[in-house]
Amino acid sequence: MKLIAKKDVPAVVDQWSKTYAVLAPSLQRNGECIFDTFDRATFTLEYRKPSMPPKSTYLPQSEAIFQVKDGGFIHSARHEKTMLFGIRACDHTGIRQARSFYSRDMDDVYHRCHAEDTLIVVHACSWPQNETCFCTTVHSGPYAKEGFDIQLFDMGTDFLVEAGSDTGRELIADAPFRAFDVDDASERLNRVKHMALNSIPIVSEVTDAMEILRAGGANETVWEHLGRKCITCGGCVYVCPTCTCFTVYDRVTSEGNGERVRAWDTCLYAGFTREASGHNPRASQALRLKRRHEHKLLYYNETDNQDALCGCVGCGRCSDYCPVHIGTIEVVKAIADHIY
Amino acid sequence: MTNSINEFDEADLFFVIGSNTTAQHPLIGSRIINAVERGAKLILFDPREIPLAQFATLHLKQTFGTDVALVNGIMNIIIQEDLYDKPYVQARTEGFEELKTMVARYTPKVVEQITGIRSSELYRAAVMYAQADKAMIVYAMGITQHVTGTDNVKTLANLAMLTGHVGRPSTGVNPLRGQNNVQGACDMGGLPGVFTGYQRVNDPATVKKFEDAWGVSGLNPKPGLTITGMMNAAHQGTLKGLYIMGENPLMSDPDLTHVEHALSNLDFLVVQDIFLTETAALADVVLPAAAFAEKQGTYSNTERRVQLAQCAVSPPGQAKADWEIITALCRRLGMKCDYACTEDIMREINALTPSYGGITYERLSSGYGLQWPCPNDTHPGTVFLHRDQFTKGKGSFLPCEFKPAAEIPDDEYDFTLTTGRIYYQYHTGTMSRRVDLLEREAPEPLLEINPEDAKKLGIRSNDVVEVESRRGSMRIKAEVTTRVPKRVLFTTFHFKESQVNRLTNSACDPVAEIPELKGCSVKIRRCS
Amino acid sequence: MARIPTICPFCGCGCSFYLIVKDGRVTGVEPSPDNPVNKGMLCAKGWNSYEFIQSPERLTTPLIRKNGEFAEASWDEALDLVVSRLTGIRDASGPESLGFLCSAKVSNEENYLFMKMARAAFKSNNVDHCARL
Repeated sequence: MKLIAKKDVPAVVDQWSKTYAVLAPSLQRNGECIFDTFDRATFTLEYRKPSMPPKSTYLPQSEAIFQVKDGGFIHSARHEKTMLFGIRACDHTGIRQARSFYSRDMDDVYHRCHAEDTLIVVHACSWPQNETCFCTTVHSGPYAKEGFDIQLFDMGTDFLVEAGSDTGRELIADAPFRAFDVDDASERLNRVKHMALNSIPIVSEVTDAMEILRAGGANETVWEHLGRKCITCGGCVYVCPTCTCFTVYDRVTSEGNGERVRAWDTCLYAGFTREASGHNPRASQALRLKRRHEHKLLYYNETDNQDALCGCVGCGRCSDYCPVHIGTIEVVKAIADHIY
Repeated sequence: MTNSINEFDEADLFFVIGSNTTAQHPLIGSRIINAVERGAKLILFDPREIPLAQFATLHLKQTFGTDVALVNGIMNIIIQEDLYDKPYVQARTEGFEELKTMVARYTPKVVEQITGIRSSELYRAAVMYAQADKAMIVYAMGITQHVTGTDNVKTLANLAMLTGHVGRPSTGVNPLRGQNNVQGACDMGGLPGVFTGYQRVNDPATVKKFEDAWGVSGLNPKPGLTITGMMNAAHQGTLKGLYIMGENPLMSDPDLTHVEHALSNLDFLVVQDIFLTETAALADVVLPAAAFAEKQGTYSNTERRVQLAQCAVSPPGQAKADWEIITALCRRLGMKCDYACTEDIMREINALTPSYGGITYERLSSGYGLQWPCPNDTHPGTVFLHRDQFTKGKGSFLPCEFKPAAEIPDDEYDFTLTTGRIYYQYHTGTMSRRVDLLEREAPEPLLEINPEDAKKLGIRSNDVVEVESRRGSMRIKAEVTTRVPKRVLFTTFHFKESQVNRLTNSACDPVAEIPELKGCSVKIRRCS
Repeated sequence: MARIPTICPFCGCGCSFYLIVKDGRVTGVEPSPDNPVNKGMLCAKGWNSYEFIQSPERLTTPLIRKNGEFAEASWDEALDLVVSRLTGIRDASGPESLGFLCSAKVSNEENYLFMKMARAAFKSNNVDHCARL
């Protein structure tokens, strides 16, 4: 266990950025904060839940996975040392779930390359980032339990620094990291964790809804009502830390040359399930929403959960960014409270 | 828009006419859905069963091309029932008596005969709109693309003024602009009769100002031709050279056979674009341009918000940003043209355009854009227009009489064909059809036909049908659906495989010269 | 990797997002979270708006029609031809024999410059765009 003064953090990350391509919170000139390549001038520790999970590192929205050029085959999976600095525990769980999915049945070399190269620095939450946070309900936060390299706990002017891997331990070995050698170190850490756990409200409807789904499903009118207002933007999928679906298409770049691209897809678009015959087993938006939410709350492969409750990590982004309020919170409340 | 997108969140009532909002402006459509869910009312006027219909408090399906009669009828009821905003009308408008006299002829019975809308429903609509505290009129091309487009807009403005629903937050008359910078192209003088900021080319003082600023003399004081006028002039041979930047009239304009002939008749056609569009394929010179991601510049959205986009990547090959191409041409033409970047151009726009006076790159990059009018460096921009008075002082009622559409179905051409966009595709398809996922979701054009009509004509979904107007014909797959009423067909103009604009009518509104794309008469048969 | 702010190229809502750029290629989009227009949201077109710019069908070089066929040309050649033909038509048939279509897709600065060229260099007010279409 170590300590570091918050004021020393920018210099440390600056140093790390010489070895790693660091993705970190960045305050834009217009006043909003996004995660972007580390820049000392825009780096900030005053940031809320980023609007997007760090999927662009592991599963870019589009990626040429191989090229055919002059009769040869060029594999594009390649190594680049990357660091995600300051991600939240929910997103870290999302990364672990996606990793489990991508390595379960067969080796997805593209995803593996990205994962093997990425160092994770989790910034544990001391309180909810906003009113849609429910990580404690689905056991994905507010701090990471394993699988990270470094974890930071907010102690006011300092961060308490926990190493989760050998690489992490090496990175925090020297100054300005300093030893946290008090007798009750782990007790103090537990106190911080405990306070954080209690500060994030439990959304009991999540577990209620999971029970109802397990027992045979929600009232169909829930899906019909939500399906009617869904505008099919796909945003809930794109902002979801655990959504991993992609489509693959080939693109001719010039005569005899081309590339295979994989790109984010969404189960809320009709073409995702439309069959060659034209028949679509999930023919309505209601059925597509139902499948998406049942997948997260009911069908998610248990081995992929990574100690969380289900395939939802409680980041609340689908509630934050659905144009018509069909996020997981609204869905589980509709199911559990029999709203429709 | 007189008002702003965020004001949708506070409105009590939406009067949506001629806008398939969730398909064409999805993130404005979603705000209407949310508003209805929190209790706001929605009066929808649309002959089609568009997605918003499911949320409508009242959905009235007027006959095509009868909007003036419809809205006049609504105003008549509002005046008869004494529901209009008397203090507002007295203090802020002029011409009320003329309006009252004229709309008095539009009794519910007359309106029902013209529009097909029952008088009881017309009453409900009139009372709901008049009694709402904050009511927003929302429209798009369904109002403007008619031979009475100007009258339609004036009539909606009359309605808003009559009820005091303009000049306050969450009210107003709100046309939704269809392209990322259609507002900006208008603001920048991309219209025949105006320089930037709608300063007239036939006003001597304005002409002098621009001559001085540009260091030229002899600017033409006569307003020029509209796009429709240019096509006619090219057809007749009086327009000989045409330079088209980033437009594809050979897909987007009505009566394509006429357009094709017009373009082929030119002595010289230059097209500047990012793809070899249908139009570019006819050009004598094609200039490769940079796409939005490959250059810096500002765009003005539907709520008059000017926003700055930065350059992300280099254009492919030798393609150049449009401003670099024009700068190179201007230099060859002997004009002083020493812009190093687009910010230099904006400084010139600031100096010449009162409404853009305070819209600088410095301010744009440190916030989320500025809404014009923004006359100086400290002005915060304007969220909604006409707060205390109209631009010209008092708002004039401009009563309009109903005039029928240019083509009314007859025995031979017995269907009305209407056109629009669908959610997954965009305009002439040049961009959206090159996006794999969008193309997967909407890969082919479909013609919507009502089940009763389809049954009579022996047409099933996916049958290929031939649709023919007085100007042209196309083959297209049918989609049998109750989305369209009887005797109405709908399709989009995104797909070059079935060019619906071969059929559409180039008959125009006499003032705005906007063609009547929203309705023409056709006949249909199943192909064997 | 870099994130570059831009405005959606499709409808008139004016949604704001960042383009994610890696190795000179746009790999995706990220909505601007706090922008008052879209507040971190986009529609299906906006989310997928990055793809067409990298289409292999993009125009990459000026083209001049020679004997009915397009031939690749240099910028100097193409621009000289545009200037000589347009000024030639203007000198022979007057400024009103020329037309200029601006664009609802390009920037304000570009529309301004195009309009200025038409009115100042060619003295033609035949300037319009597809606002009506």
